[in-house]
Amino acid sequence: MTPAQIPAEERLTNLVVALMATEIGLTKQQILDNVSGYRQRIEAGAKPDSLEKMFERDKDELRALGMPVETIGDPLDPQDLREARYRIPQTEYDLPADIEFSDAELAVLRLAGSVWSSESVSADAQSGVRKIRALGIDGDEPIIGFAPRIAVRDAAFPALQEGIERNRVVVFEYLKPGEDAPTRRRVRPLAQVEYEARWHLFGIDLDADGERTFLLSRIVGDVKVTGQTFDSALRDGAAERALAGLAAVAASQHALLEITPGTEAALRLSRRGAPAVQGILVPYVDKHIFADELATYGPEVRVVEPADLRHAVIERLRAIVAAHGGGVEAS
Amino acid sequence: MSSAPLLAADRVRLYLTLVPYLLERGQVTLEEAAAEFGVTTAQMRAMVEKLTVIGLPGDSGYWQLPQEMFDIDWDLLEQHGVIEITNDVALRRVPRFTAREAAALLAGLQLVAAVPAVADSGLVHGLMAKLSRGSSDAPLDLLVAPVDVTEVQQVVSRALHDGVAVAFRYQAPDAAPTTRTVDPRQILMADGQWYLQGWCHLRQAMRTFHLDRVSEARLTEIPITHGDAPVSASFGGATDVGHVTVRLPERLLSLLGAFPHEEIDRADGVVTVRLSMADPRGIKRIAGRFGGALEVLEPSVAHVATRDWASAALDLYNVPESRSARVD
Repeated sequence: MTPAQIPAEERLTNLVVALMATEIGLTKQQILDNVSGYRQRIEAGAKPDSLEKMFERDKDELRALGMPVETIGDPLDPQDLREARYRIPQTEYDLPADIEFSDAELAVLRLAGSVWSSESVSADAQSGVRKIRALGIDGDEPIIGFAPRIAVRDAAFPALQEGIERNRVVVFEYLKPGEDAPTRRRVRPLAQVEYEARWHLFGIDLDADGERTFLLSRIVGDVKVTGQTFDSALRDGAAERALAGLAAVAASQHALLEITPGTEAALRLSRRGAPAVQGILVPYVDKHIFADELATYGPEVRVVEPADLRHAVIERLRAIVAAHGGGVEAS
Repeated sequence: MSSAPLLAADRVRLYLTLVPYLLERGQVTLEEAAAEFGVTTAQMRAMVEKLTVIGLPGDSGYWQLPQEMFDIDWDLLEQHGVIEITNDVALRRVPRFTAREAAALLAGLQLVAAVPAVADSGLVHGLMAKLSRGSSDAPLDLLVAPVDVTEVQQVVSRALHDGVAVAFRYQAPDAAPTTRTVDPRQILMADGQWYLQGWCHLRQAMRTFHLDRVSEARLTEIPITHGDAPVSASFGGATDVGHVTVRLPERLLSLLGAFPHEEIDRADGVVTVRLSMADPRGIKRIAGRFGGALEVLEPSVAHVATRDWASAALDLYNVPESRSARVD
């Protein structure tokens, strides 16, 4: 078989097998000489440089798949990787033997894994479920009657996931409502949080030098994952902090609304609010998003205060009337 | 990222779980394994055949010995389409969850924790701990904010569980409230909202009910009779009778979300779509979300309803902007 005919997955899988079979680790040279997929290329006269690069890429690929590829360097000079040995320690690779799953638990996880509308996240969830199936668990009858769904409609989502996973700074254009042009943001991405059916990125804005929460729907164009890394410890507890932050904003910000009883607005809003002397007080996180919702209720709701929210709603209503020929017809 | 290396990575990932799966189960048909791993039987066959070229590293100049390679029962595969590994050299144990796998399942668990059957099971916290501990790296932070389960949601879930009809008051937008008796079929949880899909005794048809619009829900003693009627995949379902054509910027298309729509035209960043709606005038509410960026084209009754709806709302603020041309 010529080297070109050996597909990458065959070489990579052979590499995994080799790295797991060794206790003391294999040097780069041993791998290139002996592992099927590299060996044939050496024999066919491929340049050592290009093969070494191939091995570096393969190693990264395996790490991206979650393989604990360990590098054992020279204890006297850890920076010197010429004689480094590589291996995958069985104890770090195997699902710990004391983690067991019951049939009932698998049924719950199957439901949990079925919720994603995003293909990539759904594939990850299914792959996780399969590992439990491979343990020999068949699972109880599926939980029927419930169809929970998590929609991920934002194009930015997968790239941000990648940035979080690899601890890389991401760069994107962010357009705030009311601003004419998007601004460039450089962010250490820490967590993605779904709150009130919208995805938020929580991270450290490098220019503002502080933790910020971004709405994915306001990201314009592609997200770039840079080569700049950060300490993964920054991610600890990030999602909880993000959620607490959003909840704190909602708790500190209330709109006073007058609502016509018995209407759609009354049904949807009174559930979230508390009665006040004149109308109802409803907490909200983002002025623009809340104004978008309030505009859908038309004359069923009137914003008493705050003034900026009232203004935002009026602005939207005017634009709708204008877009539908309001002024023209009236004259 | 090009698709070729991704494909290779997917296959490697598949092997790592396929081998322990096959070893655990002994003999598995191609069809069963293909279904389990979400590939075609032809792909599964190729994967299994390729497994036999995987093995321990050889020594320079020597070919690997047969016992150092994976092998399968070829006769069984060729004659009966059944996979059995007859020699295995590694990959016997199930690998840990990747950070992504754990994250996807953890976030899914946060959502399904509100499903009564799951909540009653008391398994969620234990599962979360197992997934985190079984993950190769700290799971990515992916979090779905928990939502309190309302009384209406509980009653409807109970009806579904007990297999009885549920009765409630339903307040659809722009309509008088009605009292409904419904054979529950499915509860849809999407975008933080709960919907009941079921057979409506009043309409004698499958209907979808937004639970925010449901009140005074109570269990009946009427057993479900139409529980197996087909459920429409989309929200509007069988109620769709009218169409509305709208034009909006391409970048805002995702705001239409799960609402059933069909694209008619796309040019210069502007999309024209047709929506299915029971009452075309209902578009006035959806249009509000777009603040003028969405224009209702047809039918004219929908166009007028949208304008009048916003205009009536403006009147509440005593800013007669809609008549500004005349006032000036």
